[in-house]
Amino acid sequence: MSAFTGAGTLSRFVLRRDRIRLSVWTLALAGTTAAVVPVLDDMFSTEEERQGRAALMDTPTGIVFGGPGYGLDDYTLGPMMVNEMTMTLLIAMAVMSILHVVRHTRAEEESGRAELLRANVLGSGAPMAAALMTIALVNLVIGGVIALALIGFDLAVADSLAYGLGLALAGITFGAIAAVCAQVSEHGRSTSGLAFLAVGVLFMLRVVGDMAESGGNLLSWFSPFAWVQQAQPYHDLSWAPLALYGLVIVALVITAHLLSGRRDLGAGLVAARPGPAGAGRLLRGVTTLQLNQQRGSIIAWTLAVLLFAVSFGTLATEVEGMFETNPDLEAVFGTDVDDVIGGFLSFVTSYVIMGAAAFGALSVLRMRAEESSGRTELVLSAAVGRVALFGSALAVAAVSTLFVVVAGGLGLGLGAAAVLEDGAWVGRLLQAVLAQLPAAMVFGALAALVLGAAPRLTGLLWLWLGYSILATVMGGLLEFPDWAMNLSAFELLPRLPVEDFEPLPYVLYSGAVLLAGALSLVGFRNRDLATA
Amino acid sequence: MSAPAIDARGVDKYFGRFQALDKLDLTVRTGQVAGFLGPNGSGKSTTIRVLLGLLRADSGSVRLLGGDPWKEAVSLHRRLAYVPGDVSLWSNLTGGQAIDLMGRLRGGLDTRRKKAFLERFELDPTKKARTYSKGNRQKVALVAALASDAELLILDEPTSGLDPLMEAVFTECVREIKEEGRTVLLSSHILSEVEKLCDTVTIIRQGRTVESGTLDDLRHLTRSSVHAEVEHDPAPLAALPGVHDPEIDGHRISFSVDHAQMGAVLSQVTSLGVRSLVSNPPSLEELFMRHYGDELAALNGGTEGGERA
Repeated sequence: MSAFTGAGTLSRFVLRRDRIRLSVWTLALAGTTAAVVPVLDDMFSTEEERQGRAALMDTPTGIVFGGPGYGLDDYTLGPMMVNEMTMTLLIAMAVMSILHVVRHTRAEEESGRAELLRANVLGSGAPMAAALMTIALVNLVIGGVIALALIGFDLAVADSLAYGLGLALAGITFGAIAAVCAQVSEHGRSTSGLAFLAVGVLFMLRVVGDMAESGGNLLSWFSPFAWVQQAQPYHDLSWAPLALYGLVIVALVITAHLLSGRRDLGAGLVAARPGPAGAGRLLRGVTTLQLNQQRGSIIAWTLAVLLFAVSFGTLATEVEGMFETNPDLEAVFGTDVDDVIGGFLSFVTSYVIMGAAAFGALSVLRMRAEESSGRTELVLSAAVGRVALFGSALAVAAVSTLFVVVAGGLGLGLGAAAVLEDGAWVGRLLQAVLAQLPAAMVFGALAALVLGAAPRLTGLLWLWLGYSILATVMGGLLEFPDWAMNLSAFELLPRLPVEDFEPLPYVLYSGAVLLAGALSLVGFRNRDLATA
Repeated sequence: MSAPAIDARGVDKYFGRFQALDKLDLTVRTGQVAGFLGPNGSGKSTTIRVLLGLLRADSGSVRLLGGDPWKEAVSLHRRLAYVPGDVSLWSNLTGGQAIDLMGRLRGGLDTRRKKAFLERFELDPTKKARTYSKGNRQKVALVAALASDAELLILDEPTSGLDPLMEAVFTECVREIKEEGRTVLLSSHILSEVEKLCDTVTIIRQGRTVESGTLDDLRHLTRSSVHAEVEHDPAPLAALPGVHDPEIDGHRISFSVDHAQMGAVLSQVTSLGVRSLVSNPPSLEELFMRHYGDELAALNGGTEGGERA
């Protein structure tokens, strides 16, 4: 029996289990892309409009979320597609691939289901092989559909195929990164955290490299985010950069396989050490218990957002530099360089808020796992009231969301202040993120409401979060009408420092968040506890 | 006499359209060890969760330590300790930390008792919960419950993960708890355990109480089983009054017999020339089987037939 015996059967089982989840991802990614192409074609129909758009892509924001900027000089549909869509697609594919691989490797081991399977005729490497094969298949399908869609819109066949293949290979690379992370950490949650951190660092490498030099410098080449665009589809196609994906995937898979051979099922690479025989002074109530449980994730998220923010803050100097060397930008942005920097940074604050919102929702949703595992039952069987328990979970989530938001504002401010040598940016950006605080809290509050009153509606929460991110990231490009933009939770409050603070919407938004939190407490007080 | 520690009457509980509890009655007097028996899925854990105020009864009355378990959960829980059937702990905490935490959440823990029970259950409190086996997780919850000064212990299949040695330790501990005058509700499907420990037994099936009383009360309701090998044809025995379910295999016969007829039947067996004779007193198992075997299946008609085998 080889290490991979049963991988095929297991792959079919994985596809069966996740048929809806994977179909939704495939439809959403391939469908959005196919829908965006005619929109782009329509929106920028004249040469003038297209070159105006290209100028925008040559700004810092354009580089961060566009890429190294190949083909901007002749911005036809092909290059437009590659510049406008690639980063969004890659980030989404990274999220999909990491979640999938973790779900079918480490999370399975953690739950004990892997033990059940491994007791059958199943090789030790089969679960990981199945996770990787299925995610490879899904990525290839998505890449293939995108390539076909592009060919369908009369774009060059070879370039479209290369682009689709590049996207798919990038997705598989992110899955392979997750497979390595799954060997290191014992928990599904920390595995995905580690993988997302790695992907975030790789994204930043590309951003910094692409900012430094048009077309990217050596730093960009260290990032799988770069290689799709370095193949230069619709500009000067070269397949060679795509080979890098192949090499890296093989290296990662071999690493993961070797690491997994060095450990037991369910164990991490680092063995669990004995701990204290009794609880310390601090661990005496539900709030300290929550903090104890979430400590790792609060620190990780705060640090990750801080790092992200500092690195984006320091890009302010690039904005300044571009503004000085490229007089055309004045025509677009006006003459005040501070306005341009402020516009860039206020745009980045919305990413901080999105991150904090996702964190808040995840933090609250932990209560569901606690409940279904029976730990909530155990706690409530002691002299702990339901409102006290749920309320403390909400308080911990709210305070740590505030932490993440402040870390983001502080990071942006410090980064910008350091490179621009102007301390005022710290205060400005702290104000900017705090002015968006209700938007960072609203998904946590909604998660609480769902848990307290209607646990089955969790899907709705993710739907709205997904839509809000889509509208905020892509809405401008896709020319969403005002009402559609206003459906995004992140578009309801003005963005400082470019826009002015308005007290009334802020108070109303905060009130809605508090109301949802309060209703969730009433709901949790009055419902049956659900234990699996 | 004071109010019973647990007094549930006519409790109904629905999950959607599924009826988990159906006019369930359960009474446990203070100071008693009460067995709570039923097969998987019969509603034992649901009943316990209603008693703990984790689920709200749809109808009927539930009193626990003289209070309403739904409305007065917090104050009542100071006076009770609970061991769930499937203990899930915080994976990054050690067993010792979890025990202390549970004690503190309940309002205090006697560290001397904690130490004593840790030793008796041979539990290493410095191990992280994720490295514990099912049995060890159960021990954590047991030590936390036993080391408390709770008046009432609610134990949901507490020995399902313990080895026989630890089961013996557990039996011992429950006896001590009883001597201290505390009340125990012990849900189980391990009948010997219930037989050893319990003053009263309540048997439920499909959310309904089908039998309850002291073990002696219940024994009167049942039969002993007899296996005999005789020299002559054993067929006449089958026709005797009080003999049930006879099975004849050549000179061998097995049957069960009502206690009232035992003397008459045995003298008939003897008259046929006994080669061997084994008679088992009615065990709880037979009580149990009687309720989950023929009687209720017959009572419920053909609809339940599929569950018999």
